[in-house]
Amino acid sequence: MDDATLQNKVEKFLFTEARLLDSGDFSAWLELYAPDGIYWMPSQPGQTDAKTVASIIYEDHPILSIRVQRLFEARALVLTPMPETVHMLSNIEVEDAGEDGLVRAEATFICIQYQANEQKIFSGRQRFDLLPEGDSFRIRLKRVDLLNAGGTLPLITIPF
Amino acid sequence: MEQQEAITVDDIRDLVRPHQVHRRAYADPEVFQLEMERIFGRMWIYLAHESQLRKPGAFFRTRLAGTEVLVTRHTDGEVYVLHNRCPHRGARMCMVDRGNSRLLNCPYHAWSFRPDGTLSTVPHKQSYPESFDMEAPENQMQRVRNVESYRGFIFATLNETPVPLTEQLGEMTDIIDNLLARAPEGEVEISESYFTLEYKGNWKLHLENAADIFHPTFVHSSSVGAAKRAPQNASRLDSDQTRTMLEANGFGIDQWEGIRLNGLPNGHSYMSNFYSKGVLVDQTEDPVMTEYKKRMVAAYGEEKAADILSVDRFNNIIYPNMILNAQHQQMRITIPLAHDRTLIRVQCFRLKGAPDEMFERAIRFLSTLASPASMIFSDDVEMLERCQAGLDRDDTPWLDFSRGLDIDRTDETGSVSGVASEMPMRVQFKAWVEMMTQEVA
Repeated sequence: MDDATLQNKVEKFLFTEARLLDSGDFSAWLELYAPDGIYWMPSQPGQTDAKTVASIIYEDHPILSIRVQRLFEARALVLTPMPETVHMLSNIEVEDAGEDGLVRAEATFICIQYQANEQKIFSGRQRFDLLPEGDSFRIRLKRVDLLNAGGTLPLITIPF
Repeated sequence: MEQQEAITVDDIRDLVRPHQVHRRAYADPEVFQLEMERIFGRMWIYLAHESQLRKPGAFFRTRLAGTEVLVTRHTDGEVYVLHNRCPHRGARMCMVDRGNSRLLNCPYHAWSFRPDGTLSTVPHKQSYPESFDMEAPENQMQRVRNVESYRGFIFATLNETPVPLTEQLGEMTDIIDNLLARAPEGEVEISESYFTLEYKGNWKLHLENAADIFHPTFVHSSSVGAAKRAPQNASRLDSDQTRTMLEANGFGIDQWEGIRLNGLPNGHSYMSNFYSKGVLVDQTEDPVMTEYKKRMVAAYGEEKAADILSVDRFNNIIYPNMILNAQHQQMRITIPLAHDRTLIRVQCFRLKGAPDEMFERAIRFLSTLASPASMIFSDDVEMLERCQAGLDRDDTPWLDFSRGLDIDRTDETGSVSGVASEMPMRVQFKAWVEMMTQEVA
C-alpha cells in the first residue's frame, strides 16, 4: 500500500472513531477496539508505566465495556443531561506497519464538551497502535495524553 | 451598598441545631473567611508526607488555610513550611508543585533563599543600605512556626499556641499507626502520582459525603448496574478489582443496617468496611495476599499480624481535611479555596516490605475510585456541585441532618450507630461550632 493510501485509510478510521463518540454510538465505538485492546489516559506527562503510576483511565475491553454500559445508564448523575461533544483531530501522522504488523498513528485533538449550558475544552495528543483487519483496523492501544495531565482536572465523562 | 454586620459567635451557634444546619454554613463567604481563620488557621492541618521530601532541597507546594506554602527539607534534615512569597517585593516564588532545589530563587531581583527560608544571597549587595540585615526575619521567606510530624505525616498550624498535635488527632492516630503497621517494614511511602480535582462546592460537603452510607445506592446506581451485568474476571488487567469495586457500592438494607459508624470528639469519624468481597482485602486463594501475609507474620508474629490486618475501618475522617483508608492504602485531602470551590488531592501508599503487587493494586484502587474519569467519584462530585448550586441559588434556610437521631447511642468509643445515621455529620458540626466559636486562640 502506498503512503497516501495508508494515510487516507487511517484518517478515515480515526474520523469514524471521533464521529461515533460525537453521535453517542458508544457500542459501535467499543467495537473498534481489539478484544485485547487497551485505552490509556496517563495522569502524568511522559508517563511510561501504568502499573505503579496512577492513570486517569487504563482499561481493557471488559472494563471499557462497563464504562460504555454506564454511558447508557439513565441514572448516571454526571451524565444528566448527557454531554454532547465535538471531537476534532488534526496533524495526523501515520507510520506503516513494522515487524509486529501494527500501524502506528499520532494526532493532536481538541474535544469540546457541552453540558447544561457549560462548555469545556480538552486537548492533547493521541497515539494509536492499529491492527489491520480486512479493509480497516482495530485498536490495540490508544493512548491519550491530555495537555493538562498532571494539573488540576475537571471531570471526564465521554472518552476522547 | 448596605453595610453588613460582622458575624458573631452567637450567629455561628444559631447556624447549627441538633438536627439541622443553616445554608449559610455553605453559602456565605463570610462564614468561609471565619473557617479559614478559626479552623484551617488554628487547627493542625496535614500538608505532606515525609517520603515526598527525601533529600535536602526537596519541596512540595500546597495550601495552609488561605496561604500557598512550600514544605521543604533543609540541609540539616529538618522540615520547614514557608509562605510561597518573596519577602522583597511579594512575588509568588515557586511555580511548580514539587521538585528539588538547594536554593529557592526569586526570578525578579534574584534574592535566593535556603530551604529553611533564610536569605542566602542578594546580587550587588553593596547597593543595599548598611542597615540592610541579611539575617532579619523580614528579609526571609516567612516561616510557619509550628510544624510537626506524626510518624511521617507532616502537619502545620498558623496557631501560635496550638494544642498538641496528638491531642487534636485523638484516637485517629490509631489508623495512621495501623497503616504503618500494615507494612512489613513498618514504614510507608506516598505515591508520587496523585490526582487533583476541583469541584464547585463547599469543602464540608466532601467530608459529609465520605461519612454518608445512605447515598451510594442512589448516587452510584449507574456503575453498580453496569458492573453487575458485566462478566466476572473478564479483565486481564486487575483480577476483577475494578468491577468488584463498582459493584460494592450497591448498598441495600444489609449495608445500611450492617455498617457500624463511629463518631469521635474533634469531628473525627469512621465506619466499618464494606469492600468485603475481594478488592485488596482477604482473598484466600490470592497468591499476592498469601505472600503478603507470610511477610507480615515473619515481621510481627502470627498473632500481631492477624491483629493488624483485622482492622477494617473505612473512610477514617480526620477532621478537618483528611480521609484515610489504611487497608486500601488510600488518602484524600480536602483543600478549601472559597466557600464554593474545593480541591481534593487523592494519593495512595506503598507498604515497605510488601509485595510490589500490593502497591499496583493500590494504584488501581486510586484510579478506579478517584480519577477525574472515575465511574464512582464523578457521580459524587456531581452531587456535591448540585448541593452547592441549590444552596447558593435558593435561600430556604435549613438542611436536615436528623437521620438516626433517635437510635444513635454512646459507648466508650464515642457515638455509635448502625443504621445509616447522619451522626458523623452531626459530630462534624459539633466540632465545627466548637472551633468557630472560640474567639481567642
